[in-house]
Amino acid sequence: MSSNNPDDREMERRLRDYFAAHSRELRAPAYTWARLERRMYDEPKRGRFGGNVWRVWAAALGTAATAAVAIVIVTFMVGLPASDPSSMMMGDESGFVPESMEGSARVQARPTRAPAASQMASDAFGPTPARPLPAPTAAPAPMVMAEPTPAPAAAPTAVPRVMAAAQPTPAPAAAPTVQPQAVTRAQPSAAPTPAPAASAMLPYATAAPAPATQSQARAASEPPTAPAPRPGATTFADFARQPAVLASEDAVSTFSLDVDRTSYFLALEWARAGYGVEPDSVRAEEWLNAFDYGYRPPSDEWGFGVQTDLVQHPLDPGKLLARIGFQAPHLPDDRPLNVTLVLDASGSMANGNRVAIARAAAEAIHHSLRPQDRIAVVHFTTDVVGHLTVPHVSPDFGGVSESIANLMPRESTNVQAGLNEGVRLADQARRERPDAYNYVILMSDGVANVDATDPFGILESAYDRDAANPLRLITIGVGIENYNDYLLEQLAQHGNGWYRYLDNVDQARATFSRENWLALSTPFADQTRAQVTWDPNLVYSWRIVGYENRVTPDETFAEDRKEFAEIYSGAATTVLYELVLRSDAPPARGGRAYLGRVELRWIVPDTQQSRSQRADVTGREDVPFGRGADPMLRLAAIVGLAADRYGALPRVSAEGHYAIRDDLDRLGKHLDALRSDLGHLDAYHDFSYLLERVTESVQARPPRPSGYSN
Amino acid sequence: MAEAEAIRLCQEGSPDAFRHLVERHQNTLYGTAVLMTGDRSVAEEHVQEAFLSAWRGIRRFRRDRPFKPWVVRILVNRIVSSRRRNRVPTAPLDDAERVTGPADVLESAMSAERRDEVQAALGRLSPRHHQVVVLRYFAELSVSEVAAALGVREGTVKSRLSRALSRLREELTQTCDTEARR
Repeated sequence: MSSNNPDDREMERRLRDYFAAHSRELRAPAYTWARLERRMYDEPKRGRFGGNVWRVWAAALGTAATAAVAIVIVTFMVGLPASDPSSMMMGDESGFVPESMEGSARVQARPTRAPAASQMASDAFGPTPARPLPAPTAAPAPMVMAEPTPAPAAAPTAVPRVMAAAQPTPAPAAAPTVQPQAVTRAQPSAAPTPAPAASAMLPYATAAPAPATQSQARAASEPPTAPAPRPGATTFADFARQPAVLASEDAVSTFSLDVDRTSYFLALEWARAGYGVEPDSVRAEEWLNAFDYGYRPPSDEWGFGVQTDLVQHPLDPGKLLARIGFQAPHLPDDRPLNVTLVLDASGSMANGNRVAIARAAAEAIHHSLRPQDRIAVVHFTTDVVGHLTVPHVSPDFGGVSESIANLMPRESTNVQAGLNEGVRLADQARRERPDAYNYVILMSDGVANVDATDPFGILESAYDRDAANPLRLITIGVGIENYNDYLLEQLAQHGNGWYRYLDNVDQARATFSRENWLALSTPFADQTRAQVTWDPNLVYSWRIVGYENRVTPDETFAEDRKEFAEIYSGAATTVLYELVLRSDAPPARGGRAYLGRVELRWIVPDTQQSRSQRADVTGREDVPFGRGADPMLRLAAIVGLAADRYGALPRVSAEGHYAIRDDLDRLGKHLDALRSDLGHLDAYHDFSYLLERVTESVQARPPRPSGYSN
Repeated sequence: MAEAEAIRLCQEGSPDAFRHLVERHQNTLYGTAVLMTGDRSVAEEHVQEAFLSAWRGIRRFRRDRPFKPWVVRILVNRIVSSRRRNRVPTAPLDDAERVTGPADVLESAMSAERRDEVQAALGRLSPRHHQVVVLRYFAELSVSEVAAALGVREGTVKSRLSRALSRLREELTQTCDTEARR
């Protein structure tokens, strides 16, 4: 209706102005599609058969599953080799032949809406038949280029540029992606014991978990000659790898920063324990963040130190790599803290030494607190364990240690109930002490099985309405088997916090030593995101390495959103881009090329003010990937590309599989060439060990048949 | 991607095409749901369910029709029926928590004071009048689309809109008078 009445027209205009003014507040959350996509998966369950029929089927399958498990256990006890996980899989009574013996439970399927197999069947019988897979795609992707790159001849020193008119090679057929799904495999009866951690930290990033050295890792478990199975019941989310984008069509790349590094340490831990590293668990940005590249701190506390470099691509002489490093300043840690520990006391925590790790981490945090801080403890199983709850008290109150010492595994896992209680207590403490920072720290294996079991459902119920002084949710993962990486990562990402993985008691103590803890618990920037704008006159195409679940639509850059990263005092983070320059670009001035600009935006935690900062993306474009280049830049390139290539493994054709194998092999050689520069660092040897293991597993794993004719 | 093309691909089972539709319309749906329910978490759930329903029913959807009115209609039906079940009162936007912090700037020609007046006046509308205003001026549906979304005649929409506008005008005039008398 557009009224003829001038008064009505004026009123209509005012209404439209009002709604336009509120449009930012009325925008859908950034995770709308991600959440919807997950729910679309479950559609066939209730779709074709209807809820009741489904439940009957599920019950029947559940019974069959129980019988199958019982048969497996009996068979096992009667005499199958106890330490051979593959024997367990062969003993599977379902009659379903696993796709491969290397433990990849992934079943690729075209995205159709065919009904999925029962999840219970999946739990009991291992790999499920094709599951409908909505394929998430990256934000604007005008063009997909061939990745990974073919093996080139020796890299020349000058970067050949593409002809501007030339079209990039089309990518191998984009395969559908695998979505987060719980996958349960028969468990190895005697999982190898994780290697003890070493105390040396460098060059891992500040406050990183201390890894075991290579020799310790080797001693702990000799790698299998064939790819090892993945640990049972691990859950990851696979996000489609980022495509290359023509700068002439879209020159802007927007993403949330990320200071997590869990994906790397999880992979390292699996490799040490003799398991294959699941490609879906690989987040390249977290592998990059695991290392300390020695970025210069900013000159003051106002903003980030931003360092940019260019170097020739180690795998493709036709490309450059751009590295952008962000370094947060070290802030004084004088603000009081309200800390709420939410401890998972469920039965799954009885596996291995999870409880001991959680206790050690909780005690380390407790001991790192100062007199002005307050701490509360919540235990949860099927519900909150009321008699062990300690509301916020001074750290020297004896009941805190007593409660932590009483962490005992029992019953089911209701993360929702635990977090709800933690948030309630934290909210109360926040109101009583409004000048304190508020941390809710969840320690769990993430295996939620009561009430809400997905991160968004859990966060919804524990929703924090105070944006001005938010509760910051830190998730600490423990355990290898039966571990839900996806839940813990997403809870932290959308809960204003960060995520760590701990695999042993020493590491727990080192991560939360007083010095580390004070840095980790002093936020420098909230809701931090970056936008890189490439100069289309110079850059022909760009591709971000990693950041699959951190890339966000360009228009969201102007918005303050909870899922953007919290950056703590002294934290550093790195992003890599693969670039192809235009052939007709003007030559660089004074040897330095200015290829674009990066802008950062964040909220200052103390004042809640928005802040932004800009820097040029610049560097010498003629630096070969060799001894002339900064060794830490070369390490970053190798780490990032190895993660990127290995993580892409599930989605490539046979050709792509061999290209990835070659790329990893060549990255290994580049890493060997760094030995004289970095061989004194434990982190170098750890990564070298991990790269060897993942390269071996690609070599041993047969390429996935695509099912398409050539 | 043109909308008709996206719908065609959805009907062939493409989740990517559906993502395109979702991302195009999610802000409209979410904003509508927040304005109608006054609760962000409830709104989010309604939006999720509405899109899921659309995905389930997309094969039956006529490609030559616009997608937005259809999915808004699904959303409104959900909200209305849920309100009937639960008796959830409508609340003005003020009752929903602000996602943005005080630092963010609502850059608008309107002063904050005038926005608050409109907000308060909207909050005092009856649910029926509030609905049509939201669908017409926020979701930008045409009168016939609003009628389809609410399952009423176009004439009913027109008369509700007319009453809503005059009610809002009265409210705002009263506010101005009160301010003037102070």
